Amino acid sequence: MFRAFGWQDLIPLAKGAWLTIQLCAVSGILGIFFGLILGLARTSPSRIARWISTIYIFCIRGIPILVIIFFIFFGIPLLFPGMELDKFAAAVIALTVFAAAYVAEIVRGSIEAIPKGQSEAAEALGLDYWRKLRYVVLPQAMKIMVPPGVGFLIGLVKDSSLVTVTGFIELTQAGNIVTNLTGDPIKTFLVVAAMYFIICYGISRLGRLYERRTGIHINALKLPEPAGL
Amino acid sequence: MALYFGDLLPFSSLFLEGLWTAVYITLIAMLAGSAIGVLLYLGKAGARRALRLLCTGYIEVIRNTPLLVQLYLIYFALPAVGINLGPVWAAAIGLTLNNAAYTAEIYRAGFESVPYGLREAGKALGMKPAQIVRYIVILPATRNVFPALTNQLILLFLASSIGSIISLPELTNATMTVSNTTYRTIEALTVGGLLYLAVSAVLALASKRAETTLFRWAVSGHV
Amino acid sequence: MIFVNDLHKKFGPNHVLKGVNCHIREQEVVCVIGPSGSGKSTFLRCMNGLESITSGSIVINKHTLNDSKTNINLVRQEVGMVFQHFNLFPHLRVIDNVMLAPLRVSRISKEEAHAKAETLLAKVGLAQKMDAYPGNLSGGQMQRVAIARALAMDPKIMLFDEPTSALDPEIVGEVLTVMKDLASEGMTMVVVTHEMGFAREVADRVIFMDQGLIVEEGSPEQIFASPQHERTQGFLSKVL
Repeated sequence: MFRAFGWQDLIPLAKGAWLTIQLCAVSGILGIFFGLILGLARTSPSRIARWISTIYIFCIRGIPILVIIFFIFFGIPLLFPGMELDKFAAAVIALTVFAAAYVAEIVRGSIEAIPKGQSEAAEALGLDYWRKLRYVVLPQAMKIMVPPGVGFLIGLVKDSSLVTVTGFIELTQAGNIVTNLTGDPIKTFLVVAAMYFIICYGISRLGRLYERRTGIHINALKLPEPAGL
Repeated sequence: MALYFGDLLPFSSLFLEGLWTAVYITLIAMLAGSAIGVLLYLGKAGARRALRLLCTGYIEVIRNTPLLVQLYLIYFALPAVGINLGPVWAAAIGLTLNNAAYTAEIYRAGFESVPYGLREAGKALGMKPAQIVRYIVILPATRNVFPALTNQLILLFLASSIGSIISLPELTNATMTVSNTTYRTIEALTVGGLLYLAVSAVLALASKRAETTLFRWAVSGHV
Repeated sequence: MIFVNDLHKKFGPNHVLKGVNCHIREQEVVCVIGPSGSGKSTFLRCMNGLESITSGSIVINKHTLNDSKTNINLVRQEVGMVFQHFNLFPHLRVIDNVMLAPLRVSRISKEEAHAKAETLLAKVGLAQKMDAYPGNLSGGQMQRVAIARALAMDPKIMLFDEPTSALDPEIVGEVLTVMKDLASEGMTMVVVTHEMGFAREVADRVIFMDQGLIVEEGSPEQIFASPQHERTQGFLSKVL
C-alpha cells in the first residue's frame, strides 16, 4: 500500500514550505505591529498601559505556544459561535498572539538599552514624549532591535511547525501527509528538517550580513531569548 | 456560553500527573543537556578542526530546525533501527539533544562576556591558562549566563508540551484528554495554561532569588 | 635589569613599535610619556609578555622574553603589572584578590598568604576594606588593591599602565601617594603616565615616545625644563 519515497514527494513538501513562509510572513508582520505597540505601552509613562502590556507579556511568555494554538483553534469557535475561521486565519491569529509578546520584549529591551542621557537630552531640548520617541529614542533602538529580531523570526518559523496540530498543511503537516503515503517518516522528515534549516539558516545569514554591514552586534544575553526552541 | 469548571474536578489527578511528567522530563533534559552542552562548547572552542566543525554543525542544525521535527525523527527513527523506547524516552532524548545545542551557545556567550582584562591580570600574575579559567573566568562567566540558563530552563519546560504530539502523557496531553472527555475545552485549556503559567512564574521568581543570593559580589549588573 | 634591544611590534599591517632600545637599571623609576598612539602602552605590555614581540629582544633579570625556553610565567612572577582599568576579579573579596596568585602560583600556605595580603592592604591604606567586593570600592581604592595584588608576588619590577587615567581627578592623588612610597622603598618601576607632576617629582628618568620610537630621554629636569627635540617640545607645550 505504501510507495517508496521519491522525487515526486518533494512537491507537496515544497508547497508546505511555501505555506510555512507565507504563514510566518503574515504573522511576523502582524506580530511586529502589535509587538511594537505593546512594547511602547510597556515602557510608556501611563501606568494602565504598562500594566496591561506587562500582564499580557507575562501570560503569553509563561504558556506554551502549543496551548495557545489549541486555545485559539478550539476556543474561538466556542466563544464566538457562528464565526467561521479558516485554518490559515486561526494559525495566523495564534502565531500573532504569541509573536506580539516576544516582539514587545525585544522592543522594551532595545528602548531600555538606549542610555538615559539620550532621553534627558531630548527632554532638555523641549521635545514631548512622542517626539522624543520618534526622533531620538526609536531611531537608535530600531538598529539594535534587528539582531534579536532575526532570532525572533527564526523562532517563529520553528514554532509555526506546531500549527500542524490544527491540520493546516504547512511544512510539518505536509511531512505527515507524505509519511502516510510513503510509510517512510525518516526520509520524509529529514527532507522536512533540511527545508526548515534552509529557511532558518537563510534568515540568520541575512541577519549576520546586517551585523557586518552596520557593525551592530548586541549582546544577546541582555535581551530575552526570542520565541521557542 | 457559560463556563463551568466543576466537570474538571474528577480529572485533577490527571492534570497533576501530566504536570509532574512535564517537570521531570524538563529536569532530565536540563541536567543531561547542560552536561552535553559543556562538551559541545569545548569541542567548538577547541583546537581540533574536525571536532570543531562537527560541534558547530550539530549546534547549527539543532538551532535551525523545529523541536517537533527533531522529536518526530527520534520517535520514528529509533524503532527503525530496532530501538523501541516509547514516547517518554523519545521525548527525554529529544529535549536533551535539543537543549545541549542551546546551552552550548549560552556557555560560549558566557565565556566571551568576561572582559579580556581579567585574563590579562591573571597572566600578569603568572597564572597558567587552566588556573585562569578555573579561578578567574568561571565565576564571572557563570554569573553572566545565569539569567540565560534559567530562561532556557523555562523555555525547555514550555517546550516539553510539544512532547504531547508524540503522545508523551504530559500536561498538554492531559489537558486535551480532559477536553475531549468533558467537552469543557476552554475550561480545560484555562486550567492547563494556568498550571504552566504558575510553574514558569515560580521558576522565574526562584531564579531571580537564586541570582541575588548566589552572586552577591556582583553589585551592578554585568561584570 | 631590563634590556630592550631593537624592539619591533606589528599588529597586522600596523607598525606600532619601530625599534625601541632602552636599559632600565635596578631601583630606577622610569616614566614613559607621549601622545596617545605613540606605542608606550604596547612597549610596557611587551615587557611582561602580554604582547608577543615581532622582532628584537627583551631581557629581564637574565630571562630572554622571546626565547622559547623561557617560562614566561616565571618572568611574570618577578614583574608586577597594574592596569589602567584595574582588572580586579569581581567575584573575589579584596583580600582574596590579593591572595589568589600567592596561593595558586607561589603555592604558599593560606595563613602566610593571608598575613601577607593583610600587610599589603594596610600598606596601601585599605586594611578596613579586606572583606569588601571590588564592586563596592571607589576607583582609587580599586587601583590601590590592584597594586597590593601585584606586590603580593614580591615582584622585582613593577609596571604601571596609565594607572590613574581612569580615575576622577580628586582621587588620583591617593594612588600616586602609594606609588611614591613604593618608589622611595627602592622598587624598580616603569610607569606609563599622563601625570607630568608625578613624573617630574618621582622619576629618575623620563622617556618620551612618539610614533613607535623613543624620541628623547633624560632626567626630569632635562626633559621638562629643556627638551631638545621638537616633538617633545610640542607635546609638552600641549600637556603642561
